[in-house]
Amino acid sequence: MTYFPGDPKPKKRMSRLERKNTLIAYSFLAPNFIGFAVFTLVPVVLSVLMSFSEWKGGALSSMKFMGLANYANIFSTTRVGMTMADKGFLAGIAYFFNRVDLGIALKNTVFYTVVTVPLTLVCSVALAIALNKSVRGAVGFRAVFFFPYVASMVAICVCWNFMLMKDGPINQLIMALGINFNKSWTADNTMAMWSIILVSVWRNMGYYMVIYLAALQGIPRELYEAATVDGANKWQQFTNITLPQLSPTTFFASVMLMISCFKIYDTVAIMTGGGPGRATKMLVTYIYDTAFVSYEYGTASAIAMILLVIVLAVTIVQFSMEKKFAND
Amino acid sequence: MKKLLCLALVALMALSMAAIASAEGTTVSIATWDVGTTPYLKAQKDAYEASHPDVTIEYIDLASQDYPTKAAAMLAANDTTDIFMVKEILDLHNWNEAGYVENLNDYIASSNYDLSGFVGMDANYAIDGNQVALPFRSDFWVLFYNKDIFDAAGVEYPTNDMSWEEYKELAIKLTDAEKGIYGTHYHTWLSAVVNHSVADGVNTLIDGEYSDLAYFYQLVLDLEDAGACMAYPELKASGLHYSGAFGNGNIAMMPMGYWYVATMISSIADGTYDVGNWGIVAMPTKDDVAAGSTFGNLTGVAINAKSANKDAAWDYIAWLCGPEGSAATASTGSRPAWVSDDVADVMASVEGFPTDDASKAALLPTYVGVEIPGTDKSADISTALNEVHTEIMTRNLTVEEGIDEMNLRVAEILAK
Amino acid sequence: MSQAVASKGAIRQDSKAAHIIGQIVVYVVLIAIALFTLIPFVWMLSASLKLDREVFSYPIRWIPETFHWENYSLIWTKVPMLTYAKNTAIVAVAVTFIQTLTSSFAAYAFAKLHFKGRDVLFMAYIGTIAVPWQAYMLPQFILMRSMGLYDRLLAIMVLQAFSAFGVFLMRQFYQNIPTELCEAARIDGLSEYGIWFKIMLPLSKAAIATLVIFTFVGTWNDYMGPMIYLTHDANKTIQVGLRRFIQENSSDYHLIMAASVVSLIPVSIVFLALQKYFIEGIATSGLKG
Repeated sequence: MTYFPGDPKPKKRMSRLERKNTLIAYSFLAPNFIGFAVFTLVPVVLSVLMSFSEWKGGALSSMKFMGLANYANIFSTTRVGMTMADKGFLAGIAYFFNRVDLGIALKNTVFYTVVTVPLTLVCSVALAIALNKSVRGAVGFRAVFFFPYVASMVAICVCWNFMLMKDGPINQLIMALGINFNKSWTADNTMAMWSIILVSVWRNMGYYMVIYLAALQGIPRELYEAATVDGANKWQQFTNITLPQLSPTTFFASVMLMISCFKIYDTVAIMTGGGPGRATKMLVTYIYDTAFVSYEYGTASAIAMILLVIVLAVTIVQFSMEKKFAND
Repeated sequence: MKKLLCLALVALMALSMAAIASAEGTTVSIATWDVGTTPYLKAQKDAYEASHPDVTIEYIDLASQDYPTKAAAMLAANDTTDIFMVKEILDLHNWNEAGYVENLNDYIASSNYDLSGFVGMDANYAIDGNQVALPFRSDFWVLFYNKDIFDAAGVEYPTNDMSWEEYKELAIKLTDAEKGIYGTHYHTWLSAVVNHSVADGVNTLIDGEYSDLAYFYQLVLDLEDAGACMAYPELKASGLHYSGAFGNGNIAMMPMGYWYVATMISSIADGTYDVGNWGIVAMPTKDDVAAGSTFGNLTGVAINAKSANKDAAWDYIAWLCGPEGSAATASTGSRPAWVSDDVADVMASVEGFPTDDASKAALLPTYVGVEIPGTDKSADISTALNEVHTEIMTRNLTVEEGIDEMNLRVAEILAK
Repeated sequence: MSQAVASKGAIRQDSKAAHIIGQIVVYVVLIAIALFTLIPFVWMLSASLKLDREVFSYPIRWIPETFHWENYSLIWTKVPMLTYAKNTAIVAVAVTFIQTLTSSFAAYAFAKLHFKGRDVLFMAYIGTIAVPWQAYMLPQFILMRSMGLYDRLLAIMVLQAFSAFGVFLMRQFYQNIPTELCEAARIDGLSEYGIWFKIMLPLSKAAIATLVIFTFVGTWNDYMGPMIYLTHDANKTIQVGLRRFIQENSSDYHLIMAASVVSLIPVSIVFLALQKYFIEGIATSGLKG
């Protein structure tokens, strides 16, 4: 964990000061890192290995190396339902996303993430700024918005299924607004996904609001004072001071939110079970089924690796943007 | 690192074995679910401990919903719990493939164990000629009905030889929207709606051809349209449990597994149900299928390959699945897998069981098909069928489209 | 938008009017969202006072026919909920303590110190967050078992206490604190440990409060971990206990709702108690150096 030969700026030798600083840094890291390595990193590495192996449980040493077989398995498109004429590359892609479990789960998960992340972030920033200081009753409001995150998932999802039922309160509201929709959301191929998105935004906006609230406390007041003296209006202050100052937090929030969206499981498992059909089948639902219904642990790990690659790619992009932005 | 781990493991095992040896007598541990609310578990334990004073039965209570996951994790991690209950045949198949469970052939041969009482049901737990579990409970499906609703409507009770068409007419006749009475009730499971197709002894749910399900889908959707049963989408969204639904006293008939008898008896006794008189009859059948045919599933016991007390575990499951254990199981209103007239008498004499002759006759079905046979594709097929099932029942697909989709999905799985 | 009007000097009349209108709009919107947020909880509360078979009666009946207050006593007697609550509290407090301490320590290194391999190590932390637990649950379970951590509360503690989440969160907050502060302190002769203790900790109260809340809530509501690791009743936690009301042949959703309402209380107290740290800003005096 110490030396990285490919480090961009190779120095002949570490100076004594540098060595001392590195040691100090490691001493800061150690208490957390040891626990992290033993209980999380090692199992994760094992699961990476498992994605290239066959393993049916029992001793970990009984893993059998299989190369890319697990990956071939999940990407395989036997295309039973296709006629010969359909067999082109594009038709293959379409088939993958419309009929293969992995393709459907990927499509659903990406759609869910792309909608949920910005919606949640906008809601939570707005709430945090509205409740930052001057609103009377801010304490009560914050507690109310945080409440959804605090409640147990089983109870919450059961409640929401009821709220979203045919003739339920949400549909009554929609009908009052003149939109003609009266079907249980979770029973409709399109709306089932939106019901998951709705519950996720509802549950998470208070959570990220808290993070933003904490971050707002960290913005030095004199920045605003100086801006006021310079005659900047509220909106200019928001775009020129608040948003840039919040950027490390936004980096954190967007990465965490993206990851948690990619990993969505509970809400789907309790509310829709991935249905109707495969309309809300997500990557982790698929992983879970593969591991604990079909007992194909290697394949389950392989699906997880796809998730890992996507998330790491997006995170590295965000990370490098943050570095440029914050200039360390 | 590996060596260290092995050492630690050995030390641990030695410690746990020492702990067992130091205790007096033998303890047989059994992984199961819902211990506090499953009367037969207590009856079985009490009966066995009474006749085997040197043995203690210890239940490991796992959450019923997550039993397969938790059991899989325990087995994968070399847990030494002696016996694992088998909730689904699919799980057993996976356990066998992973080598988690003991092959019972030698035990059966050396103790001359008589399997005839299972009337062939033990075959469901035999994989490649190896008997890897024994059944102790067999729950075939029967039709529950609420006698008070029939009486109030002045309609004759259902009989043991009804056809599905007669059943459908009856359900529509008994429906009374004003009084909020539904003629029948279907739980959201695939099995509740269409598994009846396997009662003919020809069709199975893994044969890849599902046109035989169309009749049952159409039947249920027609009943929904007639208002004779609650609509699937709302039932699914609300999560209404069938026991609460029937217990409300406004449902005239309900196809359900035999296990519900024990729940009915105890819930009426403690006053949680609004149901007075009730009965059971055999499931309706299609015209070309013998009356009394139905489908069912088994609950069994398997011995953990890592168990340290395999002989004691075998003694227990041999007792549990045989006549004596079955009497203990039957005494609580549950139906043991072991079939005999004695056991049927015990079941019919349980306090709270309906006293009419039809209910008693319904205890002995003529044919019981397997809900879903276990093969290495069964888990995937079952997942696919269940997914399409939700689409048909929420009417995102028509019955025909749904059947085509089922055929296609399963063809994709079989082609892999 | 509703930032406190900082200057107490001359505020023009029209901007004052605009300010008031703005405030009213903010209130109306906030109240609307608050109602939307609370509706499911109203249903939960109402369901917790019904009989099981009334919970799912449809259409929705918001006010129960009769109030079944006994549900709130049943949850303690039907399952050993008190034991579960005690276990959950022990785990949640321990995890929160270890997590907050070790992550703020490690985050300081990631945010303010330069050392080799920093970025790679940080990516390793984030990478593990990206792998769903379901994928490495079994290898982890097997490792932990071989360490003798099966069916012990300690297992849940170590499982949760060193999560990468806390390090990531704290690092982001520390990034906000001006590096000049640390440099000034170094010149003043403070050691790195001193800087962490005397400057970073006091300046990151809001961040620590956040981490404490999240860790506490997360541990309190965790289900899958305890479900897999804890087997005997004496060791189970509240979330596992809740699922005991969902059984194979019956379910007691009224009790689930009642228990959920009860389990909201401790977490809400933690949240309310730590709220005050979101109101104090950074002490400006410290910045003018």
